[in-house]
Amino acid sequence: MRLGSGVRKLLRQPPAVRDVEREVDDELRFHVETRVEALMSRGMTRQAAEAKAAKEFGDLGAAHDEIIAIDRNRVERERLVDWWEALRQDIRFATRALLGRPSFLIIASITLALGIGANAAIFSVVDAALLKSLPYAEPNRLVSVWPDASMMPGVFVEVRNATRTLDPIAGYSGGTAVSMTGTSEPARLVMSEVTSRFFDVLGVRAEVGRTFIDGEDLPGRDRIAVLGHSLWEQRFGSDRSIIGRTVIIDGIARTVIGVAPADFHFPSPAVDFWVPISLDASRANIGRYWGTSHLNVIGRLRAGVSVARTQQEMAMLIDRARSSFPWRMPDAWGTGVTVVPLERKVVGDIGPMLMVLFGAVAVVLLIACVNVANLLLGRAAAREREIAIRASLGAGRGRIVRQLLTESIMLGLVGGALGLAVAVAGVRGLLLLVPAGMPRIAEVAIDLRVLAFTMVTALVTSLVFGLAPALRASRPTLQTVLGATRSAAGTLARRRLSEVLVIGEIALGVILVAGAGLLIKSFWRLHQVDLGFRPEQVVAADIPIPAFPRDSAARARQFFAAVLDRARAIPGAKSVAVASVLPFGGAGSVQSSFAADIEANPVAPGGLVPMLVQTVVSDDYFRTMGIPLKSGRGFGAADRDTTSAAVAVVDELTAKRIWPNAPALGQRFRPVWVKPWVTVVGVVGTVKRDSLNSAGEVSIYLPMGNVAGFWFPTQMTLVIRGEGDLATIASALRSAVAAVDPSVPVKAVRPLEELVSNSAARARFTMLLLATFAIVALTLGAVGVYGVVAYTVARRTREIGVRMALGASARDVLAMVLREGGTLTGVGVALGVAGALASSRVLAGFLYGVTPTDAAVFVSVPAVLAIVALGACVVPALRAARVDPVTALRSE
Amino acid sequence: MPPASDLALLQGTLDVLVLKALMFGPRHGYAVATWIRETSGETLNVEDRALYVALHRLEDRSWVESEWGLSENNRKAKYYELTARGRAQLRAETTRWTQYAEAVFRVLRAAS
Repeated sequence: MRLGSGVRKLLRQPPAVRDVEREVDDELRFHVETRVEALMSRGMTRQAAEAKAAKEFGDLGAAHDEIIAIDRNRVERERLVDWWEALRQDIRFATRALLGRPSFLIIASITLALGIGANAAIFSVVDAALLKSLPYAEPNRLVSVWPDASMMPGVFVEVRNATRTLDPIAGYSGGTAVSMTGTSEPARLVMSEVTSRFFDVLGVRAEVGRTFIDGEDLPGRDRIAVLGHSLWEQRFGSDRSIIGRTVIIDGIARTVIGVAPADFHFPSPAVDFWVPISLDASRANIGRYWGTSHLNVIGRLRAGVSVARTQQEMAMLIDRARSSFPWRMPDAWGTGVTVVPLERKVVGDIGPMLMVLFGAVAVVLLIACVNVANLLLGRAAAREREIAIRASLGAGRGRIVRQLLTESIMLGLVGGALGLAVAVAGVRGLLLLVPAGMPRIAEVAIDLRVLAFTMVTALVTSLVFGLAPALRASRPTLQTVLGATRSAAGTLARRRLSEVLVIGEIALGVILVAGAGLLIKSFWRLHQVDLGFRPEQVVAADIPIPAFPRDSAARARQFFAAVLDRARAIPGAKSVAVASVLPFGGAGSVQSSFAADIEANPVAPGGLVPMLVQTVVSDDYFRTMGIPLKSGRGFGAADRDTTSAAVAVVDELTAKRIWPNAPALGQRFRPVWVKPWVTVVGVVGTVKRDSLNSAGEVSIYLPMGNVAGFWFPTQMTLVIRGEGDLATIASALRSAVAAVDPSVPVKAVRPLEELVSNSAARARFTMLLLATFAIVALTLGAVGVYGVVAYTVARRTREIGVRMALGASARDVLAMVLREGGTLTGVGVALGVAGALASSRVLAGFLYGVTPTDAAVFVSVPAVLAIVALGACVVPALRAARVDPVTALRSE
Repeated sequence: MPPASDLALLQGTLDVLVLKALMFGPRHGYAVATWIRETSGETLNVEDRALYVALHRLEDRSWVESEWGLSENNRKAKYYELTARGRAQLRAETTRWTQYAEAVFRVLRAAS
């Protein structure tokens, strides 16, 4: 028996490690016993023979241990070598098999690339927004205080002075649009006002210069600024000598003291630079100090302090601050104070939406897997013979499954690599689409984490699509296969599996398409909402107060009056107005509200003071915006200056809420900190303010000419209702403003409709993505159905030929194939509808005006799916109907 | 009497002796031991223990391969066989030993 060493190696299985011991025992026992027998045959007694044999052998125990150690070592090494050898073999074999069928390789890897790539792209967003820890020092010690509300500066100062759980603690404003002048061109930028220890809380150091230090948020020391990195780069050419230079911000000169690092974007990437808020507690500033609440508060937990303890302390301190107010605060104020990890505040309510998208994209991948599994099944048919031969040569089932899985994994890796390219493109697309305010969007990138995710997804995916076909293909059908070319049993079983896969695919498709349908309908509903104003044919432009001190309300009034005059002269402008804040005003606009005394309805001590949202507007505002006047009058010549009587217009919601029992006209109210009463002279329709799906807020309008006891806004938005091309009006508007004051920057002139639709950006984003996924799912589903039906028809050509020879008409055959396709579709759709009904509840939070079980959606979606799936059957069905019985019967 | 000096001598030599014992075909350990004992005219007092360790060490180095088979007395025994590498090793070692032994012999026989 002289077999080549290579073949012997293949046949010899290295013993399992636990067998080594037994083998050594056997070997040594054989030696000793044989020796004893030999000695006894020479006439020794057994006892003497055993003693001699033992002596000759030496220390048996030690030998035993030493030999076992040697053998164990060898066996382990050999197993490793064998494993590698087999793997190399598998890889060689798989490469050959894949390259041998390029069309399969291309279709399968593209399908996988789409699925994996889409997942990686969504993952990169999910990872940045939800999974990565915040890019600050010891982020788990950062907390947000009272995230549902913001603090008045006065309250913040009291809390800061008293807290013993947070060190440091800081407040910041979300960002205000301001003008920067005094450098080159005037620019419209977003500024965040922060308290002195803001950067220290986050543990961020300036890249150039320094950040704010204690005390710099007090009047007199606050005329400084820290620039954001991109502002420094783009506007100052990364010039390090910027430190110490002066910039003019809304007319106030500030010295640049530092530049923030490149990756610092708190509270949002929109913020261009930071200035200290002026914590001015003086009498003149009392309204701002106690009346405006715009500080979001963050802090760093002292070592060993829990969030819960901090929450107790904050609730106590904020409640105590109530007594410091110059007026009585309602009892309800300051209750429900919470402290949450900063991470949670940053993520906000985006989590559920991302998880829905992540789930949807995973379903797309699942469908892609099903398709590839089906392709593999079809391929297995062609390889049945090859597999049988391998099995007959002694390859075990495990070995064959492993071989086929290697192929799947390689396919998965190719898909994963291509998927990465898809992901790179996908992330670019996503970044164009993402709604403003998506948390941490600047951190979205294809990084190592996304790479790892893609790899793992590719591997898991390969197992998902490869396992069932591999198990199926390796099932021994030896007796039939080697003789015949095909096994009928194998084919049938394979077809069953294929059909189950397609049913599953259709069902998943229904779920996705139903979800998309619900969101589309919801989005459409949002656009049907009555806004309370007519945004079409209106352009809006934010116009800041020119560079003179803020308190010069009279000069500001004159400036805007002049702008209005110029704007009225623009050809095509039908109606022109300014307002301190527009509905759907966007990121840069600040909506201010105030605590009000109502003359007819004095608040009992401790009662709830109504908060009113105020808008300062010019005369023609209601006409320009298309807000209907319900009773009384709008603003006019009578309200043009401060000597006129203090008047206001309220909307219907306010009229009903504040004066439920009497007409609002003629009623009087005032901000709690001033004496003169303001009289209601008109009532207008209620408008939606910042989102399409929220109820309105109680709001009042004040005439620009006489803002009574209120402060004059720092910026106004010019609105023009025009005829014809809005773009020409927009450019004329820029020159109109420039003609009045060339130093005033007009950042963006936008159609009002755009502002409104931006407010639905998140809904649009979710809807667009889900719709895209649904389309991909639908396409893949159709391809899957087509593949299975076409395959079945091809395998049954002979049978169809027989049927036709026996008198079946082409029509009968067509009907037969369609019936079979229809059955698959019907079962899939039914399961899908059940699944969709069960799962659409997760969408409830994203729907507006549509229930998760909307009848129209749940009738039309299955119909669409059925049509698409049956459509996919038509081509193979027609092919079946054209089968020529004579040819078919001759074949095989 | 297993003198320590003998063992030290055998440490390097034993491998060659075992390889040589297998040169004539597969043998089990007992046969190898017997062959060495008889061929050396009982001069080389090899402990069986050292012999088995050597066999397994040689297998670990892929100079021999083992397989279970039936012995003359019809019992399960582990047979060892030289591999191609083992054969080459035996040739090389034989040459080296012969040269060494001849050199030592020449020195010891030197007349002056």
